[in-house]
Amino acid sequence: MLIPRRVKHRKQHHPGRSGMAKGGTKIAFGDYGIQALEPAYVTNRQIESARIAMTRHIKRGGKVWINIYPDRPLTKKPAETRMGSGKGSPEWWIANVKPGRVMFELSGVPEPIAREAMRRAMHKLPMKCRFIRREEV
Amino acid sequence: MSEVRLSAEPRIEFGKGAARRIRRENKVPAVLYGHGSDPRHISLPGHELMLALKTPNVLLTLALDGGSDELALPKDVQRDPIKGFIEHVDLVVVRRGEKVNVEIAVHVVGEAAPDTFVTTEQQTLTVEAEATHIPTGVEVSVEGLQVGSQIHARDVALPAGVTLVTDEDALVVNVTAATTAEELEAELAEAEAEVGIVHEATDEEQAAQAEASAEGAEDAGSSEGAPTAEGEKADS
Repeated sequence: MLIPRRVKHRKQHHPGRSGMAKGGTKIAFGDYGIQALEPAYVTNRQIESARIAMTRHIKRGGKVWINIYPDRPLTKKPAETRMGSGKGSPEWWIANVKPGRVMFELSGVPEPIAREAMRRAMHKLPMKCRFIRREEV
Repeated sequence: MSEVRLSAEPRIEFGKGAARRIRRENKVPAVLYGHGSDPRHISLPGHELMLALKTPNVLLTLALDGGSDELALPKDVQRDPIKGFIEHVDLVVVRRGEKVNVEIAVHVVGEAAPDTFVTTEQQTLTVEAEATHIPTGVEVSVEGLQVGSQIHARDVALPAGVTLVTDEDALVVNVTAATTAEELEAELAEAEAEVGIVHEATDEEQAAQAEASAEGAEDAGSSEGAPTAEGEKADS
């Protein structure tokens, strides 16, 4: 799973979820992609699950790119704990994804297979997504 | 190469409010610059521009307000990432016969050797071409290429009158060995174990398990019969 090797601050504020993606809104490497249509925090487990679902479907045929990285820690206080006594302990690593962001890319397979592989991957993700194709220059 | 004629209106008010008013009228704000002239702010008809921009590096003939025509190429197109409508266009003025630097698409054709994987490392190539004769793309054939084959920018056959601007040594297409089924399965099994994914047994696997358990029960039944018989003998 994707986890940062070293971070400057162990606990961070929750990242802002407003606005649209400022970059990474087009397919850069592959032929097909999954584009986010809603803002969401995507955990490293969800990213890995989506990748596995896609790779299992395409088998040996294609190549998968992951364009997001879970570099933000989210903390959680234990259950039945009184408020106060400082911030909770880091629980998840998340990527802050905004609408328009292309999260996964795929190449080397025919379009029907890519569509099905990405449909399976979208079920593992916490927001509405859509399948997109590479545009011509 | 296709040439599209569009009527351009000058823009006199600026800022997001004015730009949004223009977009509500199904027009697109644009800026026209190049050849050392001051930038000219114009608006273009939205639908016609959208159709024109479906052709890569389309040559636009802009009918400007003063009755003059300008040839222009799209330099940058800003689109809404979700809805896809055109928000703004940068156009660069060109002259007939002038050489311009443009990006053209690389199309990979053909089938490489079995058990190989073809990766397109450069989706576009920057080339110098005459503004009125820009190719739509270049084809790169990978027919029969073996593992380890590489196609560099210098190897790509360009149309006549077109010269390469991209670094000659830039890798365009790379042919590598496809991962074997065992390697892929091992990698996925490791990743699934890390995430904690457990597979449910398929119908075939369930049937095989049921068969195996039935056979086991039969064996156990036959072996259980012997002690009983011995017991009966012992009792008698």
